[in-house]
Amino acid sequence: MAVRLQLPRPPQSPDEFSRADLQFRGIDHSGPSYEARVFLDNPDAGRSTPRTEDAGYAGSFYVFGHGGCFGELGHCDVKEAPKGVYDKRLSHPLTPQFKTLIVTEALKNLMRRSRRKAFEVTVVAVVPDNIASRAPRRDPMSFESLSLLVDQDPAAAGVPPPPDTGGR
Amino acid sequence: MSAHAPTAVSAQARALRHRKSAEHLNTQQLQALRKAIGAMQAISDDRGYAHWAGLHGLPLPMYCQHGSRLFLPWHRAYLYFFELAMRDQVADSVFAWWDWTSPGSHSSGIPAAYSVRRVGSQQNPLFRAQVPPVARQNGQPRQTSRAPGAPADLPTAADVQAVLALPDFLDFQSQLENIHNAVHVWVGGTMGEIPWAAYDPIFYAHHTMIDRLWRLWQIRHPNPHMADDLLHQALPPFPMTVEQTLDIKALGYDYAATTAHAVVT
Repeated sequence: MAVRLQLPRPPQSPDEFSRADLQFRGIDHSGPSYEARVFLDNPDAGRSTPRTEDAGYAGSFYVFGHGGCFGELGHCDVKEAPKGVYDKRLSHPLTPQFKTLIVTEALKNLMRRSRRKAFEVTVVAVVPDNIASRAPRRDPMSFESLSLLVDQDPAAAGVPPPPDTGGR
Repeated sequence: MSAHAPTAVSAQARALRHRKSAEHLNTQQLQALRKAIGAMQAISDDRGYAHWAGLHGLPLPMYCQHGSRLFLPWHRAYLYFFELAMRDQVADSVFAWWDWTSPGSHSSGIPAAYSVRRVGSQQNPLFRAQVPPVARQNGQPRQTSRAPGAPADLPTAADVQAVLALPDFLDFQSQLENIHNAVHVWVGGTMGEIPWAAYDPIFYAHHTMIDRLWRLWQIRHPNPHMADDLLHQALPPFPMTVEQTLDIKALGYDYAATTAHAVVT
């Protein structure tokens, strides 16, 4: 229950960015709930790996799952076509999700330790064994893509601070 | 007087109700909450607990909003209408929040108000509830259950402070929802999956905490940008838009900053 992906090292130095996000797109949430533990440069990470900085742990995102489909055939099929202008219905409840995990300090620490041009992201799905329903416990983790978004630190970019308004 | 003249609104009806911490309810407040939830659990029609819990999950349709930009507004509307239904049963009952960052929660987990099985000779209505047959799919038991994790694994005050500092509403909402998801998984049992979570009475204390954190964020960030199409979005099945959820005082409630009690001896 792990996914490994490589991302290029950001061009900025660790002191030149104020925030780093890992953005997960197209997350399936139709199955059981689970915790997705994210490790940087630890390809061997697994369920029993400690969630510590030394192990490359960068944080977790949690999927609050639907635990199955409870309609008839086709009920849980998400239509991929965009909605028409006059279609005011809300999105299908199983529309794949987008999640952002803020990994600023973990990424800075990694970049200070390593000068490699790429780093590996390992995402480990941990399905809790404390759920009351009998939803299938198959590997529930599925997402379409992962991006790294780094915000330039305004001070490092030479942007002057806003004028002091005296608290008014 | 005309038969159509508005009737006088009592001072009690005009007063804001203050939601309080579940760890600091006095005896009267806790009794009112238990009595109201217990009364709702005894009603099987659309005034009852199962009806309101079912609006969030099973039976279909599941109206709740997760992973969308409606997460906080939808759940605020949900608590608002649920609380009104609760107050139809016991007029002075008010939701309480479970502060899962508190020292008490990090040593004992779920607050005693919700975790004791019995109160005197009665079952504690905040401990568990029935799951009706129409919602019992995928082997869901007749009664709610919990299987909480280690108290130290609950979110911390530092986690919350980091999220409250985020200035963008959608960014804040997304990060707060992640903490929310973590607590659902931590409680486990019925709370651990969307279709049944709202049948567990602790759901409402958890979501009152989430709603309170949104209120605290609103105080800290008073003029956030929210797109017009988001503000005007309806929140089915509730007759309310996102914009109408923003001012909780207009909804008749607020959150107590602190609570303390003294007994006259």
